[in-house]
Amino acid sequence: MSDIASAELTCASCARTVDHELHYSGRLLHSTRCTACDHLTEVEPRVLVPAYLLDLEQRVVSKPRRLLRQAVREPSTFLLGLPLAVVRQPVKIARELRSLFRG
Amino acid sequence: MSGRTASGRGPGAALILLAAGNGQRSGHATNKVLLPLAGRRVFTWSLDWTAPVHEITHTVLVVRESDRTAAAAVLAKESPRRDITIVSGGNERHDSEWAGLVAVSRAIRAGEVDVVVIHDAARPLAGSELFRQVIAAAREHGGALPGRSVVGLLPRANPNGTRAHVGAAGATPTVAVQTPQAFRAEPLLDAYEAAAREGFIGSDTASCIERFADIEIAYLHGEAHNIKITFPEDLFVAERLLARSGFSLPRRGWRSR
Repeated sequence: MSDIASAELTCASCARTVDHELHYSGRLLHSTRCTACDHLTEVEPRVLVPAYLLDLEQRVVSKPRRLLRQAVREPSTFLLGLPLAVVRQPVKIARELRSLFRG
Repeated sequence: MSGRTASGRGPGAALILLAAGNGQRSGHATNKVLLPLAGRRVFTWSLDWTAPVHEITHTVLVVRESDRTAAAAVLAKESPRRDITIVSGGNERHDSEWAGLVAVSRAIRAGEVDVVVIHDAARPLAGSELFRQVIAAAREHGGALPGRSVVGLLPRANPNGTRAHVGAAGATPTVAVQTPQAFRAEPLLDAYEAAAREGFIGSDTASCIERFADIEIAYLHGEAHNIKITFPEDLFVAERLLARSGFSLPRRGWRSR
């Protein structure tokens, strides 16, 4: 899942249904911003950081099961993509942590 | 198309999951039902909740044409074992409902499907039990609408929780109607076929049923947590509510400025 998504939602501040920018830390929604009025809604870091760490733990614990499922479903794609995925994971987590603490 | 086939168990229910939106999107933003939510996409939560509802034997996902590829990719990843028909919806909700009904019309006419459940994919928290309840109520009465009353009571419902027709419900400002809604399949299909012949475009399923069908509608108490993703804040709330159903997240602590 990408770290930033965009979707049309109704802004609670300006009441317009317009694109909103959504920022994620891992699987968790971190903040949203209305592109019309800049209204920002965000999770407080004191809550987001422990939530992220807990979620990260769940992701790590469930990773073998998810990898196995993917290997069974698409063996060739899985094998071809495995080396790159192994290299990419630490980078991905580092990027998530950076965005988390920067926020 | 059928998933867990109902062969030998009598007719089943068809789920029509509406994920096409209202067709007024600006074009470059993601459809909100394709957004990530607690580890899945918004619309696949409904598939998750309905997986254990064995009454559902057919599933149709109605998406915008431009979202078909993305929706298929998500389904392959998040609901790989479920047999789901993807169809393109229209600009109006009515068009999308009609597209979904057309996809199961053969099964309805063949008697394989006796109830159609229509659900808005932007309501990712409607639980399995609510799906079971609306299906059972539709089989018993003809149709079933879950709703939440602002004043805590469902107005003008008969003591047994039924109504003769649905028109007044749509006009009653004190009831917020939710989905999933379920209807006996044949009258629903007949109503939409009649609407298509007359060029009628209803604002929702109930308006079409009210005009073209004569079936009894049961009102069920909706679920307080069955929110529709409309505001950005709804995504935070949904994430937290899902935490209570097994996705571990904190329960509080977001701010708005």
